Amino acid sequence: MLFFSYFKELVGKEVTVELKNDLAITGTLHSVDQYLNIKLENTRVVDETKYPHMLSVKNCFIRGSVVRYVQLPPDGVDVDILHDATRREARGT
Amino acid sequence: MDGGAGGNAGGGGLSTAKTPADFLKSIRGRPVVVKLNSGVDYRGILACLDGYMNIAMEQTEEYVNGQLKNKYGDAFIRGNNVLYISTTKRTLGDQ
Amino acid sequence: MATEDESAVKEPLDLIRLSLDERIYVKLRSDRELRGKLHAYDQHLNMILGDVEEVITSVEIDDETYEEIVRTAKRHVPYLFVRGDGVILVSPPLRTS
Repeated sequence: MLFFSYFKELVGKEVTVELKNDLAITGTLHSVDQYLNIKLENTRVVDETKYPHMLSVKNCFIRGSVVRYVQLPPDGVDVDILHDATRREARGT
Repeated sequence: MDGGAGGNAGGGGLSTAKTPADFLKSIRGRPVVVKLNSGVDYRGILACLDGYMNIAMEQTEEYVNGQLKNKYGDAFIRGNNVLYISTTKRTLGDQ
Repeated sequence: MATEDESAVKEPLDLIRLSLDERIYVKLRSDRELRGKLHAYDQHLNMILGDVEEVITSVEIDDETYEEIVRTAKRHVPYLFVRGDGVILVSPPLRTS
């Protein structure tokens, strides 16, 4: 639940989602669900020359299970809040 | 159910180990080899483990193709990668 | 049951809990390694790392000599969410206990 809550707070910010097939997509975080499925808007592929077929994709839904990383905006990370939330989560499990 | 083939008496060294869970409980603090699905071996002291087979080890050595590649003071291994856990007779570095 | 001793390692995830706000080493699938400061994690080993260095190791075979050439690519990322299902191993800094 921790990261679901975290990503909900991040809606509207720009993130780069890196997939397990090495495709990296930058876009505005539109929404997220409990599986960490992600919807991005105003997307652009980081390496457009390698994936020209993605040029026309402007919005996308990404299944959570294919995500490897999400690069986060520095102003979207409050370290103290994350620490507290993590400790709460660790106690609950 | 069947009293025959399964975990009956006369097993090996661990007289208390009957089920896999009992085995796992009995080997805390022992030197072990953990083999992952990738084929990589981790040798070290088993600190503890949980129901997902997540493992905490101490004095861990990482062997790739039988060659020592890395050492970790403490190591957490995510359970889904584990192929088997095996106890070793002696501590580190005897193979 | 519940003791106040929060420094004890009773289950494997305690090792991660004790590494909060410390730099850790993470070994991932597909020959990737991360070093960064652990800011958040959950029971799946999803994590948020800060000041991250990623190392990707690849092996190429030389066309003529058939020798293996090991290449490493490095990059730096300020803040990274890592999905837990790719994690193989996490190693905290050496503890002084």
